[in-house]
Amino acid sequence: MSAAVVVEVGTALPSLTVRLTRADLVRYAGASTDFNPIHYSERIAARVGLPGVIAHGMLTMASALRVVTDWAGDPSKVIAYSVRFTKPVVVPDDDAGAEVVFTATVTALRHGVATVSIDAACGGVKVLGAARADVDLGI
Amino acid sequence: MAISEEHAGRSYPPTAPYEVSAAKITEFAAAIGDANPAYAGEQPLAPPTFVAVIASTAWESMFDDAELELALRRIVHGDQRFSYARPLRAGDRVTAALTIDKVRVRGTAEIITTTARVETVAGEFICTAGSTFFHSREALT
Repeated sequence: MSAAVVVEVGTALPSLTVRLTRADLVRYAGASTDFNPIHYSERIAARVGLPGVIAHGMLTMASALRVVTDWAGDPSKVIAYSVRFTKPVVVPDDDAGAEVVFTATVTALRHGVATVSIDAACGGVKVLGAARADVDLGI
Repeated sequence: MAISEEHAGRSYPPTAPYEVSAAKITEFAAAIGDANPAYAGEQPLAPPTFVAVIASTAWESMFDDAELELALRRIVHGDQRFSYARPLRAGDRVTAALTIDKVRVRGTAEIITTTARVETVAGEFICTAGSTFFHSREALT
């Protein structure tokens, strides 16, 4: 984000589309050390009543924040970040995986801190609720 | 005895010190598909949600608490909230201490709210990671 960019309530951030495949879930499991089998085993996922293998909520959360940090540049400007995992992102065992579209808007601006509200949709279904990041603009 | 409202307030000792490494940051940034240059180079920052790597060790102290009778595969992450004093950097040695803030029982499910406080081994506060977990008690075959 260059100094010339004016940030105001209503400013829309560039959107981001992320494709998650089973390979991405395996990679995230290893990197995060979250080895809950619902993120790789169809059998276990079905047993606990899920529609299929689902992405780690934390992976969706991490992906959503890229909208904000790609815009802000410096990730250390993020001083708070919260999401609700409203619907699972079901990741089929194919090459296409699941496509998640992230959009974000500045919804508040106070004392140099911008609150960015993020929407995340997979197949037209909202998968995150109340996703908000506070970004210290240092102004 | 299973988890109940009475477990609110239960705290676990801080996790063993975890040293944030540049290699782990690289691995994590790749796993979330994030090419931000701040996560590379000599003195990389960790992506904000990297805190989950440390917090999850603290969550495990609760998941592994035999008295609570929780099963990982029956746990779903309901929400996650981070509040940062500063980002984690390669070389930081940190611990996370978990507290169960609240337990609500709804039929065969429990809603568990926790806070993990992350600080350096020198006592510098880094962030809090607040979480809500849904646990289903149904007997499964």
